[in-house]
Amino acid sequence: MDRRRLIRKIIVYAVYILLLSSLQVSYPSRLGFLGQTADLAFVFVVLTGYFNGFIDGAVVGLITGIVRDCLAPIAIIGFDGTVHVTAGIGMLVMFLAGALSSSFFTKRMHRNVPFAFVSIAFCTLVYKIGGHFLAYSWTIIIPSAGSYQLGFYEIVVRSCLLQTLLNLIAGIPLILLMRFAGPVSLSEQRKTSDDVIMTNEDTSWLQI
Amino acid sequence: MKKLLTAKWFIVLSVSLLLIAGIVLSFLPGSPLKGVVGLSSNAVSPAQKGVKATGNAFSDFWAAIADGIAIREENKTLKEEIADLKYRLNQYEEAAIRYEELKNAFHIRDTFSNYDIYGASILSREADEWFSVIRINAGKNEGIVLEQGQSYPVVDTEMNLVGRVIETQGSNSMVLPLLHEGFSASGKVNEVNGASVIVSGDAVLKKSGLCRVKAFDKGIKLEPGTVIVTSGEGGLFPDGIPIGTIVSVDYSNPTEVTATLRPFSNIGELEDVFVMIPFNADDKKEGVPGASESSAPVAGGQG
Repeated sequence: MDRRRLIRKIIVYAVYILLLSSLQVSYPSRLGFLGQTADLAFVFVVLTGYFNGFIDGAVVGLITGIVRDCLAPIAIIGFDGTVHVTAGIGMLVMFLAGALSSSFFTKRMHRNVPFAFVSIAFCTLVYKIGGHFLAYSWTIIIPSAGSYQLGFYEIVVRSCLLQTLLNLIAGIPLILLMRFAGPVSLSEQRKTSDDVIMTNEDTSWLQI
Repeated sequence: MKKLLTAKWFIVLSVSLLLIAGIVLSFLPGSPLKGVVGLSSNAVSPAQKGVKATGNAFSDFWAAIADGIAIREENKTLKEEIADLKYRLNQYEEAAIRYEELKNAFHIRDTFSNYDIYGASILSREADEWFSVIRINAGKNEGIVLEQGQSYPVVDTEMNLVGRVIETQGSNSMVLPLLHEGFSASGKVNEVNGASVIVSGDAVLKKSGLCRVKAFDKGIKLEPGTVIVTSGEGGLFPDGIPIGTIVSVDYSNPTEVTATLRPFSNIGELEDVFVMIPFNADDKKEGVPGASESSAPVAGGQG
């Protein structure tokens, strides 16, 4: 990759990461519905992995995660029964989201826009189901963390499906941004097409 | 070996394990991962403040255009109100002077007179439905120093309970809001010898902006509309801070009456909050670097 394209990539990624993460934590009530909030930063990481491959997805995921941990850290009840502000959970979630979505970055997908929505829905569902499972497990491991008594309706409808729907809606403008004002220019996307997706034994890598 | 190191599954596994180790270590004071996040915060915070300020400016500008006619009408009404309020203000100033005289004479003790109250703005809120805390723009540099095991109450402009400070950094602090799953406070029914209750956050109720209330006494009668305030038990929150009103009560288990409570404070819409620091805790921060003159309280009672 030549220097000019690399610089463009870094700048565009940095602007989007800061902008979307800031919007996410500054105006959550305007992005939300029925207690859920569209996760702009998460959707951006997923789309990065989907459109630009594993390395981009993982690196952008890690950096977005650091920003998430700075701006909206997670506080959980620790082994000593007191509430602690943690660091790293955002990084882990975003890194895994970027890595997972890059599994859709294949020749067959051809950076297909409709499949980007499938990628968002899939990653959101995995994130929500995993999150509920971990939150429940935590209350089992740490009895002082109380109980996690969410019913089927709460988990499936008001959490997983609603969040997926909101993320899909948030995905519409973000897909347009990634296509027309993204880190890889549209002409570059067209020029390189599938030739840049070099498939080897177990992975697909973007070779721009 | 090279093939292994470049395998996607290996990279994902290694980074995930490293991050999980970092998360576990972040429970300990002085965690390196927290150091990295703290350093990044210095770079990210100004950008986030800029985005927020731009968003607010854009929102205000749009509102000014959209509400132009209404604002003109409102302006006319407000001018009349201002004239009326100026007159009333003069009267209240007289009354305030009388109050101070009476207070000194009868040694009336303010409810929160042994607390300094520091003003702060909310920088960022919860990012998603799980366990996020609120960040405010006052930290160690502003004189809010939190020692191990300490925590300070946070209230809104109406002195209603918002949550408590659980961590302070250079120029910002983390507030555990009262809707958070880990939040818990001793409360009581707001009347003489009111029954004691525990107010805590709940994962389900949080989405509706509600908290859970558990009653201690078997014979307790909670009704919708009952006002709950902090009881002062536990030593963290002073007695009498309004928390919220009971919305519904569940008597199905007579040994443990539970209820839902709607906080007075609308955390989703809050812009400014106040941190209450008791005088004795405040004294401890003497000599702490960064506790500057700028940390002067915006309001405070007389000890």
